[in-house]
Amino acid sequence: MAEESFLTDDLLRQLISVGEVDLLVGIPSLNNVATIANAVAAAEDSFQHAFPRERAVIVNVDSGSNDGTPDAFLNASSHQNSRGRGLTSLRTGHRVVARCDTPSPAAVFRTIVATAELVRAKACAVVSPASPGLSAGWVENLLQPVCRQDFDFVAPLYARQRFDGLLVRQLLYPMSRAIFGRRIRELLATEFGFSGRLASNCANRDAWHEASIQDSPQTWMAATAISSDFRCCQSFLGPKVRPAAGPPTDLVTAIRQAVGALFWCAESQQRFWMQRTGSEPLSTFGPDHELTDEPANVNLERIFELFRCGVAELSPILKTLLNPDTNTEIQHLATLDERSLCFDNTLWARTLYDFAGSYHHALLNRDHLVQALVPLYRGRIYSFFLRHASSSPAEMEADSENLCLELERQKPYLIERWKKPSEVVI
Amino acid sequence: MAESAQSLWYKDAVIYQLHVRTFCDSNNDGIGDFAGLMQKLDYLENLGIDALWLMPFFPSPLRDDGYDIADYTSVHPNYGELKDFKAFLKVAHDRGIRVIIELVLNHTSDQHAWFQESRSSRDNPKRDWYVWSDTDDRYKDARIIFLDTELSNWAWDPVSKSYYWHRFFSHQPDLNYDNPAVFEAMWGVMRFWLDLGVDGFRLDAVPYLVERDGTNCENLPETHTIIRELRKRLDAEYPGKMLLAEANQWPADVSSYFGNGDEFHMAFHFPLMPRIFMAVQLEDRKPIIEILEQTPQIPENSQWCIFLRNHDELTLEMVTDIERDYMYDEYAKDKTMRINLGIRRRLAPMMDNDRRRIELLCVLLMSMPGTPIIYYGDEIGMGDNIYLGDRNGVRTPMQWNGGWNAGFSQADPERLYSPLISNPVYGYQAINVESQKRVPHSLLSWMKKLIEVRKSTRVFSRGSIEFLRPSNHRVLAYVRQLDDEKILIVNNLSSSAQAVELDLRQFKGSIPIEMSGRNLFPRIGDLPYLLTMGPYQSYWFRLRRL
Amino acid sequence: MKNTILRGLAQAYENLVHMIADFLPRFVTMLTIILAGLLIAFLLRKILRSILHLTKLDRISEQAGASHVLRKAAMPSMSEFLSRSLFWITLLGFVLLGISVLRIPELQEQIAHLFQLLPQIVVAILILFVGILAANFLSRAALLTAVNAGYRSPRLWSGLVSFIIWILTISMALEQIGLARQTVVAAFSIVFGAVMLALAIAFGLGGRDLARQTLDRYVGNRDREKEEEPSPL
Repeated sequence: MAEESFLTDDLLRQLISVGEVDLLVGIPSLNNVATIANAVAAAEDSFQHAFPRERAVIVNVDSGSNDGTPDAFLNASSHQNSRGRGLTSLRTGHRVVARCDTPSPAAVFRTIVATAELVRAKACAVVSPASPGLSAGWVENLLQPVCRQDFDFVAPLYARQRFDGLLVRQLLYPMSRAIFGRRIRELLATEFGFSGRLASNCANRDAWHEASIQDSPQTWMAATAISSDFRCCQSFLGPKVRPAAGPPTDLVTAIRQAVGALFWCAESQQRFWMQRTGSEPLSTFGPDHELTDEPANVNLERIFELFRCGVAELSPILKTLLNPDTNTEIQHLATLDERSLCFDNTLWARTLYDFAGSYHHALLNRDHLVQALVPLYRGRIYSFFLRHASSSPAEMEADSENLCLELERQKPYLIERWKKPSEVVI
Repeated sequence: MAESAQSLWYKDAVIYQLHVRTFCDSNNDGIGDFAGLMQKLDYLENLGIDALWLMPFFPSPLRDDGYDIADYTSVHPNYGELKDFKAFLKVAHDRGIRVIIELVLNHTSDQHAWFQESRSSRDNPKRDWYVWSDTDDRYKDARIIFLDTELSNWAWDPVSKSYYWHRFFSHQPDLNYDNPAVFEAMWGVMRFWLDLGVDGFRLDAVPYLVERDGTNCENLPETHTIIRELRKRLDAEYPGKMLLAEANQWPADVSSYFGNGDEFHMAFHFPLMPRIFMAVQLEDRKPIIEILEQTPQIPENSQWCIFLRNHDELTLEMVTDIERDYMYDEYAKDKTMRINLGIRRRLAPMMDNDRRRIELLCVLLMSMPGTPIIYYGDEIGMGDNIYLGDRNGVRTPMQWNGGWNAGFSQADPERLYSPLISNPVYGYQAINVESQKRVPHSLLSWMKKLIEVRKSTRVFSRGSIEFLRPSNHRVLAYVRQLDDEKILIVNNLSSSAQAVELDLRQFKGSIPIEMSGRNLFPRIGDLPYLLTMGPYQSYWFRLRRL
Repeated sequence: MKNTILRGLAQAYENLVHMIADFLPRFVTMLTIILAGLLIAFLLRKILRSILHLTKLDRISEQAGASHVLRKAAMPSMSEFLSRSLFWITLLGFVLLGISVLRIPELQEQIAHLFQLLPQIVVAILILFVGILAANFLSRAALLTAVNAGYRSPRLWSGLVSFIIWILTISMALEQIGLARQTVVAAFSIVFGAVMLALAIAFGLGGRDLARQTLDRYVGNRDREKEEEPSPL
């Protein structure tokens, strides 16, 4: 029986008119009427200034906005040549709207990737209209490496406030670097670039239906790019600014999505990473990484309390998931007072690998397993805050680098945990 | 006062541009002449053209292909005598072909008697006929036009020990129109030719007539005053004659040369021309639509002149830097092809001798608003020689047949004013009038047919234009309309087959009739009108309502 | 009279001996059957275990995720589970067969009744099985949510969830096998309804303002708490 296509007839009809393109910019949206015009302007400005000869299309994949976002996308005014003479741009610009019934990032990205394949786009970028810092430079920096330098995957780099994005800096990046052997800092960014080759490779895979990556498909794409030997690089965009409107990011949700996806990717690509040791740096366009010196407003007391209570309340679960030595150390940490807590790199590395191994052996429901990591993560960042309260960004970076090296050093431990499950005790 | 159809002949004309030197040599000196041209008027009449635009044939040192005029009221001995011109003119008129000649208002050759007098002494009565200065720092804001050869708009004259102003080559000193005597002298020149019977003048380098400090010395109000006066006198004494402006400017600036219908009758639409080439290479209609949308309305008795190529380089002055770079990279990869700010190639080589692309461009030329000008040789797909100096590569002898000197001249080949194109692709053995006349599907035959279709209705020459914007950007579609008559033109700018859906609901009920084969197409209804088109294909549909 | 009594006793003794003599062979037969059943059950278990090892059922079960479910329910592996199930079913069958040999009508009646109840019993067991899994899963989910959200007494919440599911499961199981069906259903409805009513009264009437403040604080706290943590991504 023929499988029903997820691409609508309306989208296909629009793509027929577009024809073949060189560049594609995908803009996922859900109630972004206030910011979608800026995203369109950023894309069109970048086309005009950096890619005036290339055929381009902007694709808005909307997940069911009820504020008129798709109309705002189509009606956003075009960039005008400031001289008012001659062409505004060499080529006709195309804007295509796709409506996605399933409002998951995986469904949205799959639509973008499939569209890229259909229009034979050579270079693609995905940008978020909710990113306050989005500009033409961002789009250009994501497309240039693919368009001009023949890379296949472009991960972004941001200038961050020094205590911002710790989930990325203390877990996702070090762990993915150690496992997959490539130093991609931002695996879960809302902006990234990819080539038509990578799009073709990813378009028809079954992984799009996998529950673990529904909220973090870009992590999977990055892992696929790495494991399938595509050329990857990083490109500096600018400051990472939290959107002014909208609720703050929930840690538990972030860990479930990000860590769940990472563990699943490790699960699905195990044959690839088990052979690898160490990590390779990537070609980087612009500064490698920037931390700014702005102060952070953080309730450390609460974080400590959540760690301590979490460890106590989840001790049966932790006993199942962790190696006995690891568990003993963590239980001990939870008894220390708040000034003495030191969740060092070695312990953190072992903790992460214990969780990864347990995930592989499904010692617990996998989503629950990932959630059980949250208190421990809190303990880790509390310890990080204590240690680096008055450190310079350079010192913090050096410490993060040490963590990465520790994880790489302990990779044999991960492999051992991967191969041998612990006993099930519930 | 209502203009008669006769006095608006230039709106409906198809103009053919040539240099006498290039067309046909009757006296075997290797240079074309009026007697030879006269022999070829049958060919031109048969082609279907209505007017001839002759490039300068005046006495001249020929350092700028005749645009450096040494005597305004005579004929260069290379091309014959004045009596030969008169004979030619009569025969042309007998065949219904009007004749437009050049008038270089802005400058003369430094060999002209006027300049010789002017430079001879500061007290000479003609001293003020040119623009002199003791320093070279006046009019600093004026750009240099011939960038490849000139470093300044001032040249030092060792005879009169002062500087003279020249917007073009240094051997072409600018006339000083602040001196009324100059104006009267030029009017005298015009009267001379009008009295002989010429039908119009192409006035060369019009924007640069007047200079003022603190300006860019282009398009100044005084220039328009001069033109208005010329036009007034022309209309009063020689009704039905035409003035064509050569003003390489943005449409908004050129349109001022029409005045309120009291300046030029016609002006070249320079910015459209490179954009036609750009659109075909980009496979995107955007350049054409945008430039035409930036083109202002002009008076009812005025007309744009549109063209694909001419005797000069394909100018890229009125484009942005990005557009220029694109054109260079696509059409002039070899830097030898570039000169000044343009490309010195002919139509066929620029189209890589792709018959379909050549036809597409000719279709655009014949269907866009304006009077089309065909550059000699393009109707048979002549090639060029980029290794000849200046822009001479597009001014090679006309290729009449595959025989001796391509039928252009019986002189020794080494005596020809220019070598013939002789390579196997574009050479005269492959590309010539005689061969193409014998083949009903040759480019020449096709061009003849195209001109015939164009002239079958006044919609093309006088009608309005409304662009349709189907979602397929590779298709350029527009409707020309004059009174109740409507013609739908659809062009596939792409090298691959295309499908296009046109919203023709406003023409619901009309029957499209394809104009060359006169075949009926399905009636227009409420649904989008689907057309499928081959690479570079065009349709001209007359929309009949019965 | 003495003779009557003695005769009566002798008669009773004789009847007893007859009864025992009559019952004993049946009893021995029953024991034999049960013993045989035990041996056969052991044998069958062993044979099935070997067959299942050969067919690598455990690996297939692991891949299908069934082993995972069994582990959560503190059950042994699939092959062991099936082997033991076969053992017990075989043994039960022989026990019932043995009991039927005793030819005690009331007992036979109950055994027949038991056989009639068997499908419901199986379903009830399944309900309990699913209930165990659900209770484990949801109580753990509640625990994790409460811990990560910083609620006080997360184990209370987890226990409450587990308790509710257990009550529901047991009620459903009992209702399935028809044991005091109406009583169980009524009791469950009363308890459940009372709890809900109490909560509604407490929050809706008595603690209206408190409810509002709690909700405001909850929503506000949630956002504030998120603000007080650095952005993870």
